[in-house]
Amino acid sequence: MTKILSRRHFLRGLGGTALALPWLESLAATGSASGVPLRMVQFYVPIGVVRRGFFPGEADDVIPKGNLGNVMRSLGKQDPKFHAKPLTQLTPTLQPLERIKHKITLITGMDRTFQQGTDVHAQCASCFLSSAKPYTIEGSAWPLDRTLDHIVADHIGQTTPFRTLELSCNSHKDNKESIYFDNISWYGTGHLAPSIRDPRKVYRRLFSTRENSQYQAITDLVLEDAHDLKKDLGYIDRQKFAEYFESIRTIEKQMSRLETMKSELAKVAIEEPPEAYLPRGDYIRLMGDLMVVALQSGLTNVATFMVGPERWDTPYMFEGLFDKPRSHHQMSHNQTKMIDDLLKVDHFHMQQYVYLLEKMDKIEQADGTSLLDNTLMTYGSGLGDGSTHQYNDLPIIVAGGGKRMQSGLHINMPEGTPLANLWLTQARMLGLPLQDFADSTGTIDALIG
Amino acid sequence: MRFRPNPTTNPISWLHLTSMVLGSVLLPPLLETPTKAAKPNAFSRVIAPALKSHCVKCHGAGEDTEGEVNLRTLKAEQLGSDPELLGRLMRVLDLEEMPPDYDSPTLDRKLRQELIEELRRMRRIAISEGHQHPHTPIRRMNRFQYNNAVVDLFDLKCNVFTLPERMMRDHGGYFQPETGRIPDVVNVGSRPLGKSQMIEPRLAGVAAFPQDLRAEHGYDNQGDHLSLSPLLMEAFLKLGQSIPDSPDFGPRNVGVWDEFFATPADSVELEPEVRRRLKPFLRRAFRRSIDEEQLARYAEFADRQLAAGIPFPDVMKSLAAATLASPKFLYLYDKSSDEQTSETIDDFELASRLSFFLWGSLPDATLLDLATTGQLSEPEVLHEQIERMLKDKKLKRFCDSFPSQWLQLERIISSVPDREKFPKFYFSKYRASMHMMLEPLLLFEAVVVENRPVTQLIDPDFSYRSDFLNAAYGDLASQPVQRRGAEVAVARFRRMPVTDRRTGGVITNLATMTMTSGPDRTQPITRGAWVASVIFNNPPKPPPADVPPLAEKPPENEKHLTLRERLALHRKRSDCKGCHEKIDPLGFALENFSPVGQWREKYENDRDIDPSGQLFRRHAFDDVIEFKRAILSEKDRFTRALAGHLLSFALARELEAADQPALDQITQATAADDDKMQTLITQVILSEPFQKKSTPKVESPTDHQPD
Repeated sequence: MTKILSRRHFLRGLGGTALALPWLESLAATGSASGVPLRMVQFYVPIGVVRRGFFPGEADDVIPKGNLGNVMRSLGKQDPKFHAKPLTQLTPTLQPLERIKHKITLITGMDRTFQQGTDVHAQCASCFLSSAKPYTIEGSAWPLDRTLDHIVADHIGQTTPFRTLELSCNSHKDNKESIYFDNISWYGTGHLAPSIRDPRKVYRRLFSTRENSQYQAITDLVLEDAHDLKKDLGYIDRQKFAEYFESIRTIEKQMSRLETMKSELAKVAIEEPPEAYLPRGDYIRLMGDLMVVALQSGLTNVATFMVGPERWDTPYMFEGLFDKPRSHHQMSHNQTKMIDDLLKVDHFHMQQYVYLLEKMDKIEQADGTSLLDNTLMTYGSGLGDGSTHQYNDLPIIVAGGGKRMQSGLHINMPEGTPLANLWLTQARMLGLPLQDFADSTGTIDALIG
Repeated sequence: MRFRPNPTTNPISWLHLTSMVLGSVLLPPLLETPTKAAKPNAFSRVIAPALKSHCVKCHGAGEDTEGEVNLRTLKAEQLGSDPELLGRLMRVLDLEEMPPDYDSPTLDRKLRQELIEELRRMRRIAISEGHQHPHTPIRRMNRFQYNNAVVDLFDLKCNVFTLPERMMRDHGGYFQPETGRIPDVVNVGSRPLGKSQMIEPRLAGVAAFPQDLRAEHGYDNQGDHLSLSPLLMEAFLKLGQSIPDSPDFGPRNVGVWDEFFATPADSVELEPEVRRRLKPFLRRAFRRSIDEEQLARYAEFADRQLAAGIPFPDVMKSLAAATLASPKFLYLYDKSSDEQTSETIDDFELASRLSFFLWGSLPDATLLDLATTGQLSEPEVLHEQIERMLKDKKLKRFCDSFPSQWLQLERIISSVPDREKFPKFYFSKYRASMHMMLEPLLLFEAVVVENRPVTQLIDPDFSYRSDFLNAAYGDLASQPVQRRGAEVAVARFRRMPVTDRRTGGVITNLATMTMTSGPDRTQPITRGAWVASVIFNNPPKPPPADVPPLAEKPPENEKHLTLRERLALHRKRSDCKGCHEKIDPLGFALENFSPVGQWREKYENDRDIDPSGQLFRRHAFDDVIEFKRAILSEKDRFTRALAGHLLSFALARELEAADQPALDQITQATAADDDKMQTLITQVILSEPFQKKSTPKVESPTDHQPD
């Protein structure tokens, strides 16, 4: 018997205090005239969606049969032309958004470019936020580069204790898949910003300030060692070893910022999550709650959130959806048979997204707007469909942004618009003076408020 | 000039050739003939005409060049400077994968040999002409190495953390390699699947950092996978602090307590005492001689703390914490070299390579002393040390990390055969796989410790099984069968004779057969791919993504077919054939083993199972015994493959063309000594890639020239 939960017990502490959490005035806000900082959250959905359930106008399209991995394009016809119109009717998978649809915009027609030579699932996740121009990364087939969250954090994450926060709702105990399936956040090519899977680890990282002060004494000493060591290295190794300095420097900054927040964070009576099995929905929402508290309290302004890992054939329980453990990936290759079950999974993931949107919309900021209004929170998947493994026509929803963003719309981008155009648009909305981002060709002007 | 696949041409045909990059050819004579310049006209005399008449029809110019190899326009200089392409051509010729059956006229056997020899000669020259061994990047320890290194540094009587990747737990200390024998009865447990096997003496309050994942077809120590992030750095800092801060970190558990942490007698002057203790400690931790500047830095840190009134043991603890967070401890690296080409490693680097290979940890004082005096690399001394290391209990770390990854045994952890079809696989809350996974690991340990021929990994006359596991073999069990319930915590495994040659070895055991099957049926392709990767170190490329998987249960109109017929039906595409002709026979040979490894002669639809096939289009076999015999008749290929796995593990990187000649030499030397396992390990250590490094201080001016 696995001991089930007490998420509720924990949340009595977390949810309650979270809503009552003082706005931490000591934190300087960046990129905002009102003094409220801008944030960005990427909510990643693995293995694509069932197109018929998600995309307006595709309800009657053909159901992909089996695994159509080499097709890599939609089976149905897509509108190749631009349009932006009010989002009125919601498709079945989008239904959970009904109450909050005035604060979101559905964007269709966004494409990424698959680069041959690496696994399709690994690339769709790990390169979702980088999309480097093909063949520009030396010595690698991956279009994997510094990801959007880190580029954005270079601008809006400089004053928070944590530049970024990486979470993955991956409860698998086997380490069956490589790091590329479980991480969408990278400091750079081959340099992972590892996601945290365990809510207790998230908690300790965010709220346990005690240990930090102890490091100070020894970091000076080991930095000397590092300078020493560097002199001994060949030129290739010197480049890789830069990660050590970068890591130490980040920690030092983090320590000094946490120091300034200590007294205020002490007022937040948050309990550590219990070490108990949580049903899938509770687990995801607990991870989400921790992320929201981190955003709200100014611990970080930038977060990435994987609602599940890519591929990973090992089944797990989706409590409330199915009686037996199921593998999302295997279902995605059997749409003809399991389309109804897959639709349930898509709907379930959408519910989690909406849970976080609604939660963030209830949190009031210093200027009377909500946390959501000051966050660009994107729902997206690296595949347009789990069977066709297409990198085009990706399911994308952008929420929040307040007056900076045009919401309540369905924007369809012309055929071949790179997803990087959205990332460039978001980076600009967050105040970054970027000319371009990865393989971008422009911005999505219809989204800008 | 480097060969680069053109992304716009057909990616599928490319698969045939790329899958052959890593391995190479093994045919007598094993040793490449001594350096002798290639006959200048060999290319125009032998190679070019043969390519023209047998290859360019498909691999010629044009949009659809098969395998993206254009052999029509290939020039001698171009081929001569591309050791990888040379290796690929050798391989497809040697394994008779090319030219295909439908080629006419067929390639004469003698000409084939001659071609291989000429290509081999060209490759040797290509490699010797300024090409360097691939560089192993600087990398941090993985958590397995970190655990071992900390245990050794402090001489801990317990573990730092309990690691599930150390699959087999030794209860009662059966592992005594100095005796040269694994006892007939051993008490073991399965950490990932057994009961309470993760509970063992360790330091309280110390949390492990995340497990480092195994690289695809590689090992979890691979340099490109082991990076450092601020999050991980923080974890290392925390770890370094939490280890000496643990309530269990005291005189009782810490072997070096008295010589490092204990408060000296009142009469002793503290400042010089700190320096006296620090020097050997830092040398041990950093695996190099310690210069005065470095020593002064740490000592002055201690002086300041002592002056602030901090108790002596606590001061030494913060020194220990700093040491554990120092990049000189955390990182494995070779010092830069002045040359652009490969250079012999220094004695300290040799000490580290040896100890991280065989002990998964720091060199001990003996190795460091020999490195300090520069004696370690003397051939006699090195041989002595290898022998000593193979007899040390720390060899268990090698046995805890290499075989499970080589055999991909972690796959059995997620094997869940259908409960209704295979009810015996499950008992109370447990799975039989808990016992299954231990059998190949114990066999591997016996072959290493007892210095047996590597061929016994394929076809041994003994095995280690629990009574429960032996009974689970059903018809194939070793007689007499003792029926007993499964022990879930401490399991008693006995050495028993393998009388039925259908079982035994790393291929035909319950673990391998189960983990290469799906829940409802066997997966011959998966099994074939496993054999190709593990036994022959020649992993096939993944299938094109648009191939639908075969349904677990046959649809109505396929119920009368055998699995072989069903697969054939689903694989009519010509672009699938190349790979499948290679891997399918390796998997179908094992079809008599059910999804949980039970012997069967017929499928559920009453059709006979047909395991017959050919190995390398050369050795016909009709059953699994003949299949294993066929593998043994190619035993040098297996030895070479295992040498490649070991070398890749030892160097923490993938192997490339420049490493291939060394594999031939290792294989030949091992074969000359009755294929003995310890000889193989020794030869890996003596091989050129192990003894050399490529860490130029400055970038080569030619590196950035366009292709």
